[in-house]
Amino acid sequence: MSGLPFAGFLVLSGALLAVGLFGVLTRRNFILLLIAIEIAMNAAILNFVYFAAFARAPSPGLPGQAIAVVLIGFAATEVAVGLAIVLALNRVKGSINVAEASELKL
Amino acid sequence: MNLEEIAFAILALVAVATATLSLLVRELVHTILWVAVFFVDLSAIYFLLYAPFLGVLQLGVYAGAVTVLLLFGIMVTRKRIFAREAATGLGPVPLGLVLTVFIFLVAALGELPQGLVAQRSYAPSDLSAYLFGPGGPWLLLLGLVMLTSVSGAIYLVREGRE
Repeated sequence: MSGLPFAGFLVLSGALLAVGLFGVLTRRNFILLLIAIEIAMNAAILNFVYFAAFARAPSPGLPGQAIAVVLIGFAATEVAVGLAIVLALNRVKGSINVAEASELKL
Repeated sequence: MNLEEIAFAILALVAVATATLSLLVRELVHTILWVAVFFVDLSAIYFLLYAPFLGVLQLGVYAGAVTVLLLFGIMVTRKRIFAREAATGLGPVPLGLVLTVFIFLVAALGELPQGLVAQRSYAPSDLSAYLFGPGGPWLLLLGLVMLTSVSGAIYLVREGRE
């Protein structure tokens, strides 16, 4: 088959994780936080898919792809719960800025 | 460089650029548009990695469902959906932390086996045979997590709860 670069995929995944982390650290809007977490989660799913593609002959790479399927489902449920939190926060505070939701701070 | 390597290089650049843009633009609706492009781009990368079923799943779940859910989230929480977000300072501390993480990850690459090439392609039927055979517990786990999270989401948004 092809000679796709192994290291290239891992650098891409690392870069996406870094971008997601950057979003989580800098943005204050809850929906943007959700998107940043999704980007970081996609970096993790990408890792599973390419370790499955690069599995050597005796070991089947199918478990990697199966875990990726399950993780895509997890990410979708995470967005659903996150948006429920957004709606609840908007009703209680009138805004979805996470800096205003500070009741649990010491 | 062969055709697949060129395709991967372009897709990787587009992925990083759209992910960064989606977190830097100030209109939330533009964020959703960029993140939709990011999800479609990742789906193309899955096709490149011989995972056609995952590519289609990524298109349906992420580029379709998640994008629309996020758009709904914006529509129900704002009066004008094209309103601009306040600019947030990028700050040296987050940038430094992110660069450190990235450099650490790239440095860890030296520990991995080098010179591997992608070897195999999986038909969607192989994947479903695995998921409904030895990988069954994973699907059960996914079902349980989805059930509990849907119950939790309904509890969070129900009326009359303060």
